Amino acid sequence: MKPLALIALLAVAGSAQAKDWTVDPSSTLNFAGTYQGEKFGGKFTKFTAKIALDKADLANAKLDVDIDVTSAATGNADYDGELKGSAFFDYAKFPKAHFVSTAVKESGGALIADGTLQIRDKTRPVQLKLDFKPAGAGATLDVQATLKRLDFDVGTGDWADTSLISGDITVTSHLVLK
Amino acid sequence: MAFKSDANRWGVGARTLHWLMALLIIGAGIVGLYMSDLPNSPQKIRIYALHKSVGLTVLALLLLRFVWRLADRRPDEVPMPAWQAMGARVVHLLLYALMLLLPLSGWLYNSASGYPLQWFGLFNLPSLTGGADPALKGVAHEFHEYGFWLLVVALVAHAGAALKHHIVDRDDTLVRMLPLLRRRAAVPTSVEPAPVAAAPAAAATSAEPVKENPIP
Repeated sequence: MKPLALIALLAVAGSAQAKDWTVDPSSTLNFAGTYQGEKFGGKFTKFTAKIALDKADLANAKLDVDIDVTSAATGNADYDGELKGSAFFDYAKFPKAHFVSTAVKESGGALIADGTLQIRDKTRPVQLKLDFKPAGAGATLDVQATLKRLDFDVGTGDWADTSLISGDITVTSHLVLK
Repeated sequence: MAFKSDANRWGVGARTLHWLMALLIIGAGIVGLYMSDLPNSPQKIRIYALHKSVGLTVLALLLLRFVWRLADRRPDEVPMPAWQAMGARVVHLLLYALMLLLPLSGWLYNSASGYPLQWFGLFNLPSLTGGADPALKGVAHEFHEYGFWLLVVALVAHAGAALKHHIVDRDDTLVRMLPLLRRRAAVPTSVEPAPVAAAPAAAATSAEPVKENPIP
């Protein structure tokens, strides 16, 4: 009885280990949109992701991502200064954003993660496109989503003008999993 | 309405370019002075976008003006002392140089700041620096600003001299660039003295006698 329980425990632990990935620090999380007719982009340099993903066991797949929005960097000090303010991310009040998946499914050969994303005090359902590529002992996971910034109150008031800053913001992430 | 200039008068082409650019330059200057101290907002961005679009228009019209100047003739020089003729040439050269360098330094400043450049929201122009360049940004801005004040000086000299020709010398310098006023036939624009009989009306109605140009 005792050895059997141990084996069962090891089996559970083993299966959990097979799909719980460690996210390598070389992973990236970027965003992009259009400003005055020209593409702009930026990145979040600080985020943590808990990824449980196995194509053979999508029912137990889980993506849980914490983003330190105050780490947003566009490479333009003026843009970064605006992002900090209350019309955009409001770092003082809402320093964190959070995504958690509710379901990961396969659709037409591609993986889709449904989940909820919270930015500021707005929580909205979002859908991520996943491109999961196991490679040896590790894997890469490319994530892509198009968000409506106004759904999350990012760029409010006069900044809500989508002819100036596009309403659609593309978020992409390249995760190196080990 | 002659499109090209003749010996006595600037043609419609030269006059249109002159006054259209004058309006745009003065407008861009006023907007430029007003906009820089505004707090950042979409409204400020729109005002900057307007300033940039007008500046780019001036640049495009300047290139057209260079081409037109090659195709067109200049009216004969209004007789004036040599130092004044020289002064006029220097100021004209300075104006042309600044009409070129102010839009270009503004474009450079915009590029070095890492901002997009749109012409009236219709299309985008490329960056001159291929991305933000903080060191160049400061230099370009200084150039743009000092260039502007030099332009103000040059414009005051240019407009002041034109008014002096019109009011004091009572010659054709200003009138031949104006869109509506007729030439002052009484005052010669060529080196030969005009026959007095050519303008009896002007001589009769004028309280002061028509001045002869000091240098024939």
